[in-house]
Amino acid sequence: MSSMNDDSWAPWRARLAGQRGHRYWRALEDLAADASFREHVASTMPAWSQVASMDRRGFLKLLGASLAMAGLTGCGRPPEDSIVPWLRMPEGQPDADAIFYATTLCMAGEAVGVLVQTHQGRPTKIEGNPQHPASAGATGPQLQAAILDLWDPDRSMTPRRLGDIGTWDAFAADVGQWRSRFASHGAGLRILSGSIRSPTLQAQRKAWLQRFPGAKWHVHEAIDDRQALAGAQQAFGRPYRCRYRLEKADVVLSLEADLLDGGPAHLAYAWGFAQRRDPERGTMNRLYVVEGTPSATGTMADHRWAISSARIGDVLVEVAVALGMKGLPTLTPSGLSHARIAALARDLQAHRGRGLVVVGACQPPHVHALAHLVNAWLDNAGKTVVYISIDDALPGLAELCRDARAGQVETLFILQANPVYDAPADLDVSASFAKIRHTVHYGLYRDETAHICEWHLPASHPLECWSDAQSCDGSRSIAQPLIAPLYDTRSPHELLALLLGDIEQRGQAIVRNQWKALDDTAWIAALRAGVLPEMESDEPDLPVPADEVLRSWPLRQGQATELVLLWRPDPFLHDGTYANNGWLQECPRPLTQLTWGNAALVSPALAARRGLNTGDLVTLKVRGRALTLPVWVMPGQAESDITVHLGYGRTLAGRVGSEVGASAYILRTQDALWMAAGLELVRADGHVDLASTQSHDRMEGSESVRSSSLTALLAGAAMESAPTPPSLYEATQSGDYAWGMTIDLNACIGCKGCTVACQAENNIPVVGADEVRRGHAMHWIRVDRYYAGSPDAPETVHQPVPCMHCEHAPCELVCPVGATVHDSDGLNVQVYNRCVGTRFCSNNCPYKVRRFNFLQYADLTTESLKGQRNPDVTVRNRGVMEKCTYCIQRIEKAHIQADRENRAIADGEVVTACQAACPTRAIQFGNLKDSGSKVRRTRMSQRHYTLLAELNTRPRTTYLARVRNRHPDLGEDA
Amino acid sequence: MAQVFSRRAGLYLQLVLLALLVLVVSGVIAWRAMTAEPNGMNETVDQPVPFSHKHHVGDIGIDCRYCHASVETSAYAGMPSIATCMTCHSQLFSDQPMLRPLIDAWQSGVPLAWRRVNQLPDFVYFDHSIHVAKGVGCASCHGRVDRMPLMRRTQPLSMAWCLDCHRDPSLQLRPREHVFDMAWAPHDTRALGDALVETYRIDRRKLMDCSICHR
Repeated sequence: MSSMNDDSWAPWRARLAGQRGHRYWRALEDLAADASFREHVASTMPAWSQVASMDRRGFLKLLGASLAMAGLTGCGRPPEDSIVPWLRMPEGQPDADAIFYATTLCMAGEAVGVLVQTHQGRPTKIEGNPQHPASAGATGPQLQAAILDLWDPDRSMTPRRLGDIGTWDAFAADVGQWRSRFASHGAGLRILSGSIRSPTLQAQRKAWLQRFPGAKWHVHEAIDDRQALAGAQQAFGRPYRCRYRLEKADVVLSLEADLLDGGPAHLAYAWGFAQRRDPERGTMNRLYVVEGTPSATGTMADHRWAISSARIGDVLVEVAVALGMKGLPTLTPSGLSHARIAALARDLQAHRGRGLVVVGACQPPHVHALAHLVNAWLDNAGKTVVYISIDDALPGLAELCRDARAGQVETLFILQANPVYDAPADLDVSASFAKIRHTVHYGLYRDETAHICEWHLPASHPLECWSDAQSCDGSRSIAQPLIAPLYDTRSPHELLALLLGDIEQRGQAIVRNQWKALDDTAWIAALRAGVLPEMESDEPDLPVPADEVLRSWPLRQGQATELVLLWRPDPFLHDGTYANNGWLQECPRPLTQLTWGNAALVSPALAARRGLNTGDLVTLKVRGRALTLPVWVMPGQAESDITVHLGYGRTLAGRVGSEVGASAYILRTQDALWMAAGLELVRADGHVDLASTQSHDRMEGSESVRSSSLTALLAGAAMESAPTPPSLYEATQSGDYAWGMTIDLNACIGCKGCTVACQAENNIPVVGADEVRRGHAMHWIRVDRYYAGSPDAPETVHQPVPCMHCEHAPCELVCPVGATVHDSDGLNVQVYNRCVGTRFCSNNCPYKVRRFNFLQYADLTTESLKGQRNPDVTVRNRGVMEKCTYCIQRIEKAHIQADRENRAIADGEVVTACQAACPTRAIQFGNLKDSGSKVRRTRMSQRHYTLLAELNTRPRTTYLARVRNRHPDLGEDA
Repeated sequence: MAQVFSRRAGLYLQLVLLALLVLVVSGVIAWRAMTAEPNGMNETVDQPVPFSHKHHVGDIGIDCRYCHASVETSAYAGMPSIATCMTCHSQLFSDQPMLRPLIDAWQSGVPLAWRRVNQLPDFVYFDHSIHVAKGVGCASCHGRVDRMPLMRRTQPLSMAWCLDCHRDPSLQLRPREHVFDMAWAPHDTRALGDALVETYRIDRRKLMDCSICHR
């Protein structure tokens, strides 16, 4: 990355001064028009500049040699194949092309119903289950990447005792001994698990506690909503979990709540939100976001105000005062202008019962409690927010460590938790656990915790075992295995049965027994649908909040200028559980576009004051603990807030995830899980070249992304700047179909679900951090993030860019071997077996969507990874150009199906991988020749525009512009 | 002017040229041998069990779909499970040494590995079901298997060979009801083929797209 000296901050301030309207920029250096930055960008673009200076003679020699080498690679006969048929063919259609089974995956604190595609018994791809309320047909990056975890070669494959290979039988013998010792009381026997989402496991927990009355079951999650539950406890006297109805809310105020892309139920929330963002289909909602560090939800806001995370509570108090609520504490001003608070309060007041105030899980309990009061005051409770009563919390990790240090724990089973890595630093888990006589770790990987335990037991992947789950909204579903366990692993239910000494130890029977109320027909129906029919529920609970919280409102400590450290879960790695997943590591983070590592997010103002640039190393010191990591200058960050993401710095994650980034858990303590005041920021020596993709694939053209305001739109302003200019080329495509795609930027929340879905569907390789730095990331659909306005409070727009499938494609004209051509449906196809790798096409592509295999990126040797590959898509080798194909394998499948039945392909029959994954249905795909197709209708929209239309490439992929629904009273002060 | 090269030098030169020629020819032959298909056209392939299509199809008259069950619905024609073989061979010839591997597989539960006879490169996505649905007979690509005691490849399966038919499908089409008929022969292939292209709505433009086979 280019280095910017202290003076280089001045130019962007100067450039922006006095500017009105939209001018979009992608990186701060971009805005400064820094010469060294342009040089950096030019050098990472495919160019000869990287090759040492070469004369004509040398070039020809190299050319001749490479031709000869290329010829030699053709030597070798095709591999001889054998066909291994079934012994007994199972029921169904096992030889059919692909079969989908419904199951449930628990990811990042939520259980989501999914459909898993299997090819002849191999699970290859995950899609959302439209019938399951937590998915509504969509998936996020983590769900998409779960399939890679199944085939991960670093998974634990065998039990181990003290590091040596052991057997389940030897473990069972040990358990038998322990069981007889604990038979009478069970004191000293403990289990530590992650949060329990499975009713069967819940029942097994109860049975286990009954069997060993003196035993205790602890629960530990590094990222949970305990502050929200404590807030509900303060307000209602008992814990409730909130469920929001975004589709019914006209005005939403989010106080650091990343509703759309973080936390449980975000897929459902994103869909609920998107339903209210289509100006053509009805009234748009208005979203206000107040936050310290930018989030996906913040980028979707109509008004986003950056305020230090420590002062969010004060903002809510000011709003409550403006709403006329009584008994509120008197505070120093939060820093948000009076006009904004007043307008927001008026908006909420005007939409009583149709508004919503949401507080993020990172905020302290009293802010949550006040939000409950405000929602009740505004009559929103029971309408846009419903309360789900939950059980009291189980004892946590702190109690376990305390007891262990006191010598009260003799045997500990750790089920799918990794406290050695992700516990707060002041608990000192390793030292506490060292006092326990027998420790047993059960998990998918032999991770940090496994290495300090006596026994390690390998867990089955959720796609390998029977289970069940309850989502946050209460819907229950069964999880069925897609494949027999690949290794010598067991499911959690089988392990519990072993610990209990049950006679029945088969996972399927245990789960079936839990649901014995269902007869066989209902059971099979539940498996097929992927979700159980709704229970007959009573009237939803409508608890009345008490205003006691206001009397004990904690006054803010410290000075306003003090720096605050914020911890946030990584958008993809979550708490670090998914660190060994290459797809997730390499997927650019939604806002920073960072891959393979984390950074301290620092506001531009603070960076300018301290003379810091992106990549400079700093040491963060808080309460005597220190961590050194690089800086990322983050537009839109509150000035006093510094954010670090959890989930990095794993030491024993596997070959992908170990030693990537720095572990922010080192700074975390029990009393400051999300926010710590009194941070010291010290410059350290050194500079790191962060692997970010924000400067890659730049399109040099005017207005690549467009937005408008709702008022302008209603006044009839159209987005398309000019009618399609005439062309000298003849229109050649002539088939029955004309495939096209539209992407609605008003719905795109930038979650990157599409990017990972595409990677899973199209066998896209992972290239690693060094290759990403060189600009060689292979994603076929990238999501560009554009900023507009001042770096202190920018507007953000996400723009997914797949191949445009231009009707007049510039790439086709320059290919010397005809490896990229049009087919009769108007698709711009890439023929891998013709491609010789000249890269002319990529250089001539104005949208920069072509990806080249500079090295042998596809892993052809690791056996287990072969299982994941989609057999309908070629695995590309070194030296071949590739790009988005509009999922041609899916188009051809539909084509063959329709052709076999002598009919046309119906609208909606072809769904591309990105379209299927999108939680907000931002992507529409279909036949442009069909006047009734959805994609054709979206093209009629007033918001419709073409990317780089002035080049007259006539892309088949087009966009619907972003619209912001500003409060009419907040003209200048938006 | 004196001779530059002696008589002897001329001989050496000739010998060197000859040796070069031999080297190049043998190199080409070796290269051809190295890169040849695992089994050549019309060469039979050794299988774990010497299965005879002639006996099963020609003599007994078993339909193709009895064993290749998914040929009408899937890209793969499907290979019969051993249970399919055992419908007859649990009783018939079960004591013959020829069938020993089959019986062993059935009893031990370790499936048979048949060697592939008709192989396409991995970047070609051939779909059986659509060819069958559009009236391409089994015999068009696989030959008269009812006359093959041991299975062999009868067509080159090269891209040029595929394209011959994709350019002009009429000559290889037959009514759907005769797709599995090994002995079917038309009177006027061209007229019938042209009619079938119409009836089966075969889009000739699409047939020549790269994307129809390569993905």
